[in-house]
Amino acid sequence: MKTVNVVICTGTTCYVMGAGHLLGLKEHLDESIAQRVNITGASCLTLCKNDEYGKAPFVRVNDKLITEATIPKIIEEIQRQLQNNPATE
Amino acid sequence: MGANRTFVEVDYCQSSKNQQSVAGDIFLSHRIPDQERTICILADGLGSGIKANVLATLTATMTMRYILDDIDIRRASEIIMSTLPVCKERKIGYSTFTILDIKHDGMVNMIEYDNPPCVLMRGQRRLDVQKNRVTVKSDNIGVRDIWHSRFRAKENDRAVLFSDGVTQSGMGTATMPLGWTDEKAAQHIAEICTRFPDISARDLSRNIVAVARKNDEFHNKDDITCSVIYFRRPRKTLIVTGPPIDKQRDVRLAAIVREFPGKKIVCGGTTATLIARELNDTISVNLDGYYFDVPPASKMEHVDLVTEGILTLTRCVDILEKKLAPETLPNDAAVQLVKILLDSDIIQFVVGTKINDAHQDPNLPVELDIRRNLIKRFVALLNDKYLKEASFKLI
Repeated sequence: MKTVNVVICTGTTCYVMGAGHLLGLKEHLDESIAQRVNITGASCLTLCKNDEYGKAPFVRVNDKLITEATIPKIIEEIQRQLQNNPATE
Repeated sequence: MGANRTFVEVDYCQSSKNQQSVAGDIFLSHRIPDQERTICILADGLGSGIKANVLATLTATMTMRYILDDIDIRRASEIIMSTLPVCKERKIGYSTFTILDIKHDGMVNMIEYDNPPCVLMRGQRRLDVQKNRVTVKSDNIGVRDIWHSRFRAKENDRAVLFSDGVTQSGMGTATMPLGWTDEKAAQHIAEICTRFPDISARDLSRNIVAVARKNDEFHNKDDITCSVIYFRRPRKTLIVTGPPIDKQRDVRLAAIVREFPGKKIVCGGTTATLIARELNDTISVNLDGYYFDVPPASKMEHVDLVTEGILTLTRCVDILEKKLAPETLPNDAAVQLVKILLDSDIIQFVVGTKINDAHQDPNLPVELDIRRNLIKRFVALLNDKYLKEASFKLI
């Protein structure tokens, strides 16, 4: 079964820009996809130091970087990736 | 202070008489680093509540002043006894006191006036020292005896001071009609020191106050205060926060972490990332039971605690400034850090001075302090209010 890894940055900049709320992501996921999503924190993705990456908070969904992340934006990306790679079982 | 010298740990615990908002017992401690000296005073004012608090505060602060100015203790006692305001009902001005004047090489001068006798422990054994009577005359209360003793403390010695609220706790109950008594309280201290040979001043003072409160069935009949002075091998903690100003120094910073003999804490995501890279370690963020005030704590093999930087440190300073009891707070990363600090004697901060531009963005919803300013406040707080030996260096 295809799974998606979500990494939420919990560094200072991301946290003050709302990453604290993102840590509750699991509660916002439908049961059908919750078990296919792996949520971890990162102490810092060190992206805030470089303007070209965009703005905090930063979240990675597999290799895709989401800037100014919100719960809906993350869920949208998770769904997109799962649809491109539907469960093989 | 030399690296392996005995450290004088001081802490106390207090619980006021039932329904009184302030205690009539006062414990003051003051460390004078230049003189390698610590002075501790426990004063118990007559009665309870505000009146007792005023008497005890006057006694304790005056005594501290006299000792700091090296005024002869007998003369100081006379002045204090003569100047205390006189209680309207009892026609006396009165506060008991115990003074410990501790040189960090171990020499202790102790003055006791009407408090329960100080319990001295050498490891797990009780230590008896000779006490000499000194007679003091005062207009207020006539002729009184105070007791002076002088001894040399060694590593693992403890001095336990308490007010009579401790020794008289439980008085009148069926199981202890005369209260806990000096002797039973001293036996309890010896038992605890046997069962927990490394118990900190903080934990021992809390234990004794908890037992006294239980004796009183949690309705304190008097102010209950216990302070402990523990001559211990210092427990050291290192806090590394902030990346160094140039990348060349990352290796040096990592080496400081690797070689430090004691507890190691890293505060800051970027800092943790660079330490992990240099030490070939991995960071795993603990998302179980995260709390909202500060970002979650993480784990690394080489480090005891990894936290976010400026928000967590700011919260720690806040907890310590307000003297909040960490055991009553949710166990978030800041509270975990405070607990380690309270159980440390020597605290070394190593502060990277690189500024994270993203933190200077005026659009951020909260103001982030400049790291080194915050750490200066942190260090002063630990030294002045918590009698730690904290210092910092910039990298």
